Amino acid sequence: MTGWLIFFFALFLASLGYASFRSYNRNRSSDEFMLAGSNIGTILGFLTFSAALFSAFTFMGMPDFFRTHGVGAWIFLGLSDALMVFFLIWFGFKLRKRASEVGYKGVAGFIQSCFRNKWAGYLIFVSSFLFLIPYVAIQIRGISIFLNAAFPDLIPYWGWSAILVVIMLIYSEIGGLKAIMYSDAIQGVILLVVIWIIGVTCLNMAGGLDSALEKVAESNAGLLSLPGPKGLFSSPFLIASAIAIVMIPVSQPQFTTRLVVMKNLKSVHKMAYAVGIFAILVILPTAFIGLYGAVKYPEASTADFLSAALLFDQANPVAALAVVGLFAACLSTTNAQIFALGTELRSLLSGSDKRNMRVTQVAILVFSLIVLVFSTYMSDELVLLARVSFAGTSMIAPVVLGAVLFKNPPKSLLIVSAIALTYFVLSLLELVPAGFAGLPTDAAMYCILIPVTAILMVAHHFTQKTKNEA
Amino acid sequence: MKSKIWNILVLTVLALSVVSFLVLFEENKVEPKLANVPFAFWTGFLITLVIVILTFLASRNFPHQESDKK
Repeated sequence: MTGWLIFFFALFLASLGYASFRSYNRNRSSDEFMLAGSNIGTILGFLTFSAALFSAFTFMGMPDFFRTHGVGAWIFLGLSDALMVFFLIWFGFKLRKRASEVGYKGVAGFIQSCFRNKWAGYLIFVSSFLFLIPYVAIQIRGISIFLNAAFPDLIPYWGWSAILVVIMLIYSEIGGLKAIMYSDAIQGVILLVVIWIIGVTCLNMAGGLDSALEKVAESNAGLLSLPGPKGLFSSPFLIASAIAIVMIPVSQPQFTTRLVVMKNLKSVHKMAYAVGIFAILVILPTAFIGLYGAVKYPEASTADFLSAALLFDQANPVAALAVVGLFAACLSTTNAQIFALGTELRSLLSGSDKRNMRVTQVAILVFSLIVLVFSTYMSDELVLLARVSFAGTSMIAPVVLGAVLFKNPPKSLLIVSAIALTYFVLSLLELVPAGFAGLPTDAAMYCILIPVTAILMVAHHFTQKTKNEA
Repeated sequence: MKSKIWNILVLTVLALSVVSFLVLFEENKVEPKLANVPFAFWTGFLITLVIVILTFLASRNFPHQESDKK
């Protein structure tokens, strides 16, 4: 397998190098570096959005999720993603309209301008920092677990994480967002091809869909219905997950920025349904891999199941491609997130363009090092940790929605989001009760946050109307 | 006309979501199966597919346009 691995890695690294070279421009402005000249077409836009969205947690977490929690995993991610792309049609329009009015350098700066309040920008940055760092660390943790299980004696565990971060830093610092988008496109295609090859192989090894489902029905029938054998996919969990995932483009800056830098609204709309199709195509084979795991490795640990299903049970070229595919999937999401943190920081800076770009580049380096350290302390629950990140950032969604909906958004939304974010963080630290009335924290908080936000927005709408009429 | 179609699409997606999460996705329901695929999976898959198709239609019938200035 080593020969194939070297071959595919060389090909992959060469394509990344070419992407960086194509994107490099010595005299670029910080806008060109951080926002890719805001001229991204449909195909590149859809591939970069998809690659940033589907990552190691899809490639590794979802098969494991299907294996341990059953078919409800489709509703958890597939259906939620479909709802999210529908929401993009409206949100993309509103966001771009408002961004063309007040300017856009990053979500934090944008919100600061809309609310005319510096604390609004800081709130967005804090939320991004708090929840993107663990999310990026999850990705790195994921790939390291997998590679360490696959090649136990090659290099130490942290060595894999370090290699990934170094590659990411090199090409993102050279080529900026454009290089990241080109590499996302490459990685998105690799992810789709690899996951289908492995999915179909696993389905065949499980004896076909019919036979595999029958075996699962005999061994663990709970996997074939909601809420799954461990009771995870309850209605509150699925609804809260859907809300958190629909809010991803609102509250996760790497996606918000991708909507703004698209060439025009038509490209955003084409991208939306293309991402929906991509979501179906990427998640479906993870169900096949999970089904295979439920049949053949029902009791194995996550790392053992993944290394067996993705590597040892595959033909050598496929296994090598899986390593590269997983590496690519992980890389595309981590660079999108770390770069987004840099973008957010830059949008809050004032001063010369050159200085801001230098500060941002140094900040990206610092964020990467923080992530690297953090990844060694993460748990192995990839999907659940990713979900915490989605839910955590969604607490600031009222602020972003208020900013795109109103010319003078109500400041009360800032207070509501700040309280929600603080409570959510405190509940994660187990300093306040997590959830109530039998609901998990995020579901319970949405029960309060959504009606409160709606009331504040409706009240503000009528207050503004009365003011304008007067 | 576009505005009307857009409103219908939004209402359809909202109704579909509410019905799916509150009525359709019942706990411990495996039957009726479709080609041996359990209920929660094939209905979840079908609804996902329908929503993506509705997204395509929505992209074609979105009533607002972007001004040229950026």
